[in-house]
Amino acid sequence: MAPMALAAPPRPDAPTPASATPAAARGVAVAARGVAKAFGQRGVLRALDLAAAPGEFVAIVGRSGCGKSTVLRLLSGLEGADAGTLTIDGAAPFSGNPLARMMFQDARLLPWRSAAENVALAVGGDRARAAAALAEVGLGDRGGDWPGVLSGGQKQRVALARALVAQPRLLLLDEPLGALDALTRIEMQGLIERVWTEHGFTALLVTHDVAEAVRLADRVVVLDGGRVALDLAVGLPRPRHRGHHVFGEIEAAVLDRVLGVAADPAALHEIPAPCGLARTA
Amino acid sequence: MATLRLSPSPARPTDPAATLVPWLVPALVLLLWQVLAANEIIPPRMLPAPLAVGQAAAEMAAEGKLVPHVLASAQRALLGFAIGGGLGFLLGLANGSFAWSGRLLDSSMQMLRTIPHLALIPLVILWFGIGETARVFLVALGVLFPVYLNTYHGVRTVDAGLLEMARNYGLSRWQTFRQVILPGALPSILVGVRYALGIMWLTLIVAETIAASSGIGKVTMDAREFLQTDVLVFGILLYAGLGKLADVAAKGLEKRLLAWHPSYVRAR
Repeated sequence: MAPMALAAPPRPDAPTPASATPAAARGVAVAARGVAKAFGQRGVLRALDLAAAPGEFVAIVGRSGCGKSTVLRLLSGLEGADAGTLTIDGAAPFSGNPLARMMFQDARLLPWRSAAENVALAVGGDRARAAAALAEVGLGDRGGDWPGVLSGGQKQRVALARALVAQPRLLLLDEPLGALDALTRIEMQGLIERVWTEHGFTALLVTHDVAEAVRLADRVVVLDGGRVALDLAVGLPRPRHRGHHVFGEIEAAVLDRVLGVAADPAALHEIPAPCGLARTA
Repeated sequence: MATLRLSPSPARPTDPAATLVPWLVPALVLLLWQVLAANEIIPPRMLPAPLAVGQAAAEMAAEGKLVPHVLASAQRALLGFAIGGGLGFLLGLANGSFAWSGRLLDSSMQMLRTIPHLALIPLVILWFGIGETARVFLVALGVLFPVYLNTYHGVRTVDAGLLEMARNYGLSRWQTFRQVILPGALPSILVGVRYALGIMWLTLIVAETIAASSGIGKVTMDAREFLQTDVLVFGILLYAGLGKLADVAAKGLEKRLLAWHPSYVRAR
């Protein structure tokens, strides 16, 4: 039976508040099938298969240069795949796709625009929505500040507000907390988990911090040699704490798999060499 | 709270006594000059006393000879600057933004910029005679290259991460130019403008010594004919004053347009 609309259809010009939308319905399905990507001679991804259900939080971990950021760049349309198909809600990715927004490791705020103007940029200059998004990340009173006077954590909060303000259905997080200090990182993890719960978008988080992946994600995926080496569902209730013994077990399992190739020379024969050294030829 | 990054100039003084400090040395030099000249230790034919220079200036102003000449010079300078600077700005934007335009024109511009524009004076006189056009042309040619080079450099070195962000956030080409490229290139463009203003006056001084019928150059050339050292020195001071004025204007522009820049941001 088709779902019935009981309420009047929302006016297209009035953005629906996130709380009024059933959270799970907001996210989009993401899929990658047989995706390959090489930069020059260096094959970064080879036959990658990866999927995320609507509203799912998937973390991608792996060693430096294993292609985890490339997955996000392909989905954001900043790069094109050499082979295979990628889809976001069934359609091919393209740059500027309003469904998908990216958060980078550096905040990438325009230094010559105030915090509020930076956020408004993502919604055609709508200052009211920008102010609401800034308030949501706890910076309601800093909208008039130049990015240059904000701390690293505050800048990333502004970047998060900018990513969320247009209500994207897929959020691509490219090591957004990598440059922050440990305490700010814990705060930001809490914030990201909260907005994900409230907005219900699909989230793809690339991180080198295994504990962060286990804390936030429904599924943790380990990339190695351009392929998925481990795909582990994290069934712990939220909010999760590192002290929990299952948390520790999952973290150890993922970490072992990330480090495993280098630790066991024999395994190198079965598993493709780390992509930093691999050649496509 | 202090500024986030050390500003290139020392901390801005706030109390009036501190603002007077930079004027101390010039004042002492003037005083010494006056004393030496008044006692004829420096012969007045070589360098007249500051008061004598001031007197010559007052006389010129009273005879109505000062303002028209300054205006004539300023007009030439600004006209040449507008033409050359505008052209350099547009070429810099085009070559920095469009690969085909840069490939077509940049190497030619780089070749032309190595020619000292003052070396073209004989050719310029052949082309345009000794009239107004020749002088404006020389100024325009002189300011074109610093503005071009710095605009081109500024556009080319805009943070690639910001451009990527603009693509990801669906900004149109015009929005990207207006919001990202132009403001990103602005600090470099303003460096070019300040540099060009210096060249503007330098070129003007040389150009006005070529048989000008008005302008500060004409005044100093006449003064040399009649051995009026006081007027000559005053003419030089006028150039210095106008140059300083242009620099202050450029600095003011910088402060206004780059209010966001960490060098200018003062914490509240």
